[in-house]
Amino acid sequence: MIPVLSVSGLHAGYGSSTVLRDVSFEVSQGEVACLMGRNGAGKTTLLKALMGVLPKSGKVELDGKDITDWKGHRINVAGMVWVPQEHSVFPGLTVREHLFIALGGRGVDAGLTAAAELFPILEERVDQEAQSLSGGERKMLGIAQALVVHPKLVLMDEPTEGVAPIVVEQLLPAIRVLTRSAAVLLVEQNLDTAVALGSRAYVLEHGTIVESGGIRQLHEDGILERRLAL
Amino acid sequence: MKVVGALGFLPADSFNVIVLMAVFTLISLGLHFTFGLLNLVNLAHGEFLLIGAYTAFQMQDTTGSVVLGILVAPLVAAVVAVVVERGILRFFYERTLDSLLATFGLSVIIRQIVQLIYSANPRTVRDPIGGAVTVAGFVLPRWRLLLVIITVALVTLVWVILGTTAFGLRARASVRNPALAETMGINVGLVRAGLFTLGSALAGLSGALLAPINTLNPQFGLFFLVNSFLVVILGRQGSLRGLVVAAVVLGGSLSVLQFVMRTVYAQVIVLVIAIVGVRLRRVLAERVVAYRERRSPARSPQVAQGGAVDSG
Repeated sequence: MIPVLSVSGLHAGYGSSTVLRDVSFEVSQGEVACLMGRNGAGKTTLLKALMGVLPKSGKVELDGKDITDWKGHRINVAGMVWVPQEHSVFPGLTVREHLFIALGGRGVDAGLTAAAELFPILEERVDQEAQSLSGGERKMLGIAQALVVHPKLVLMDEPTEGVAPIVVEQLLPAIRVLTRSAAVLLVEQNLDTAVALGSRAYVLEHGTIVESGGIRQLHEDGILERRLAL
Repeated sequence: MKVVGALGFLPADSFNVIVLMAVFTLISLGLHFTFGLLNLVNLAHGEFLLIGAYTAFQMQDTTGSVVLGILVAPLVAAVVAVVVERGILRFFYERTLDSLLATFGLSVIIRQIVQLIYSANPRTVRDPIGGAVTVAGFVLPRWRLLLVIITVALVTLVWVILGTTAFGLRARASVRNPALAETMGINVGLVRAGLFTLGSALAGLSGALLAPINTLNPQFGLFFLVNSFLVVILGRQGSLRGLVVAAVVLGGSLSVLQFVMRTVYAQVIVLVIAIVGVRLRRVLAERVVAYRERRSPARSPQVAQGGAVDSG
């Protein structure tokens, strides 16, 4: 089976500073692969490089297509979407306008309905500026934007970080819905959440993958705890 | 106004005040795109006005029709804009100081080319419609009246494009958070090229519209450059509503002051008004934000900085 995402020999970084060295891994159809590692290991850098935000070398394939040199908008249109950690929004644009952009202007009403089914609060806030949403609501918007476009692969950066437990309870079912239709590369610091959602784990240390395998096995063997210094 | 009136300001002169307000708006509309939205310190803005004005002159010379020249001017400016944006300026977004140097160089090149073709001799473009109309007993030149009407139409058009169309929405998103816009499927490079071309075409059209009421020479654009930057900066970079208010304040001030002093002094006072106005606006904005935070600390949006944009 062709993996949805195949990365080999990836190098990336900021300017002259190389953060990722010779990173190779795969994400298969229907899989939730967890990218784990301590702070500064290069997890977010890896997602940014895959999404075309940072320059990179090596080879990245999405559904068998070489997308290494593609720009971000082309990667997005090809089916890879990014839910960034900082729950970024466009100042001055409403929730509806965010969904319009995510959908490329097509099927906005259906998208709004789908988003509202997952997160009813977004329906109430649909004409409100996204910048005025709470942190948790912005995370919901980020996940909704990914879900409504029916992507092949979602890069999700710490979706539960910095939000109240009651919001996490709403986010997790939505993430599960997402994983039913798309492969997910999930950066998650919380081990319990990662084990609950993930099937495979990759552990990054100093920009290199040092462990990979079934997430439950790695957890039971205590490898994740040791690598993450938990 | 009583003092001004005592110095010779007639009620009919209030029309000239309105015309200068419109001129200030016209010369700044293109810069709203290139500097206000794209944050390029576009010192070549005046040269796109120049291209428009000389296109009107050339078409008058070749075909005898100034109106045709006014229609062709934005197209010529747009073609030049596509070439320089794709060839040079696309490498200078988010590099403010470098963009200043690049556009300064571009302005010198365009000016020299115009001088090589048309020499430094003054040229004139005739009034395309001529004549005057009488309104409430005042005689108003028809072209100047039409300029005011066209200015209102162009501001409305820009507001519609940026505030209500899919392109406008993508443009606002690209300007406010380019990295996020790109990863959400917007071709930010293409949107930027579109904004630069649109802004330059507007500048070309404005130059052609202003040609009949000015004498042309290769320095034509420089005359408008400083005032257009003052308008965009005072109006808050990226705000169309602010641009119109600033054009009314600065254009109105200059035209009234010209009745009581020499133009050069009036221009200095306009500069002072712009500087004080920017300071006052910032103080006011800080107070509004502080007030909102006091009223609703949890929901208050972040303070809009430099490149913030409104749709209107």
